[in-house]
Amino acid sequence: MTTAGADVQITDLAVDDHACLTFGEPEELFDLTAAFVRDGLAGGLKVVWVTEAGPQRATPELARRGVPVQSALADGQMTVAGCEDCLLPGQAFSAGEAMRWLSEQMAASQHDGFGGLRIAMDMNWALRPVSGVEELPEFEEGMAAALAGTTVSVLCQYDRERFDPVTLATVAPFHTRSVAAATYYADALLRICRQYAPPGIRVAGEIDYRREEPLALALAEAIRLDGNVTINLADLTFVDGPCARMILDAARGLAASRSVEVRCHPAIADTFALLGARDVAGVSLVSADDR
Amino acid sequence: MTDDVRGSGGPPAGASDAPPVPGVSIAARAQPAVDQSFDGDSLYAVRATVAAHASEAGIQESRVRSVVLAVHELAANAVRHGAGQGRMRLWVTGDGIRCEMTDAGAPPAGANGDGDGQDTRSRDAASAGAARWPVEHGHGLWLVREIADQFSLESGPSGTVAVVSFHVGSRPVTS
Repeated sequence: MTTAGADVQITDLAVDDHACLTFGEPEELFDLTAAFVRDGLAGGLKVVWVTEAGPQRATPELARRGVPVQSALADGQMTVAGCEDCLLPGQAFSAGEAMRWLSEQMAASQHDGFGGLRIAMDMNWALRPVSGVEELPEFEEGMAAALAGTTVSVLCQYDRERFDPVTLATVAPFHTRSVAAATYYADALLRICRQYAPPGIRVAGEIDYRREEPLALALAEAIRLDGNVTINLADLTFVDGPCARMILDAARGLAASRSVEVRCHPAIADTFALLGARDVAGVSLVSADDR
Repeated sequence: MTDDVRGSGGPPAGASDAPPVPGVSIAARAQPAVDQSFDGDSLYAVRATVAAHASEAGIQESRVRSVVLAVHELAANAVRHGAGQGRMRLWVTGDGIRCEMTDAGAPPAGANGDGDGQDTRSRDAASAGAARWPVEHGHGLWLVREIADQFSLESGPSGTVAVVSFHVGSRPVTS
């Protein structure tokens, strides 16, 4: 298993980490963010998510991954805000202004009696021709200094497909950690990685018997985790007989007290149904269209 | 031997009732829309080709993925249990598509199965070559039979020919 350039799992961050999350697709971003938010809420921390997706989309994305987002928003433990409101007042970026916003957030969470603060920060705004964007490294450097020794962690989220390598390399040293989804296999046709919220694996693209080995490894690791397992096949367009059977066999092998949810499109569900998935106790086929 | 499944649909327009014979291909009767070789590295290309032609032939979108699965399993069988490579020819018939998967030769001695535990001998394909191909419940040929409208499998010393047809259904297709 590799975590391409990453040195820590999203679930193992320290209280004052300034972490750099790189993601390749929205599913991965929302999954890792959901785990970051979920663990922060469970730990009694204040959680702030600064996202370009905006609260309208971000909130349901967290909710469908099992994060108690509505109650956290209602009682003030969580805030979801757009980038413009926090980092780009007047449609321009200034490292000084952004640091001021961060300091206010830290002071407010302390004032409200939270034991710490977690901020997830979507950095996609920096891909737009924003005035002052050249101050991004200065902001990252400022955050690194401000967080050390506190109970405040920040997760900066960079789209590794869209940010140029020079920008990523420039900001990387200011982070204490790099984070990415644990990846078991990735090429142009197929990607197999861990899913964090809810726990399980995610398989996207096309899979056949030639990739049974990484699939088996991913399933074995998912099964070793506690609780129910989600096999997210929402972006899978083909599964052959051997791989579908392997997934079903893994599900059959789980203790009766655990369930396996296979989330997939109807055409993929047909393959599992043909192999008898609907008769396997504890396995549910959920349409990926039910979002 | 042949193994017709759900044969009630009748042969596609222009085809004779004669089962395919290795070496005397149905290609003699019409030019295939597709004639491509494949091996383990190009199964995705087989899938993409079949998906495109099945859709174009009018097979319902909800069924196209199953058609792709069936043809993939035949190709995978040729790669895993046959010569390691093969040839696919595909015809767009009056009422769907027909694929002929040719496994061009017997495998090397001792290459029966590849250690994946699937080299079960089949009563349904008991002749020399096809016996390499598993028909265990839930496995390759079993899936093909479940999905296909017509399916025949023939083996001889020179290899194996599988012919499989998928119909649009009662909906007429103008060609």
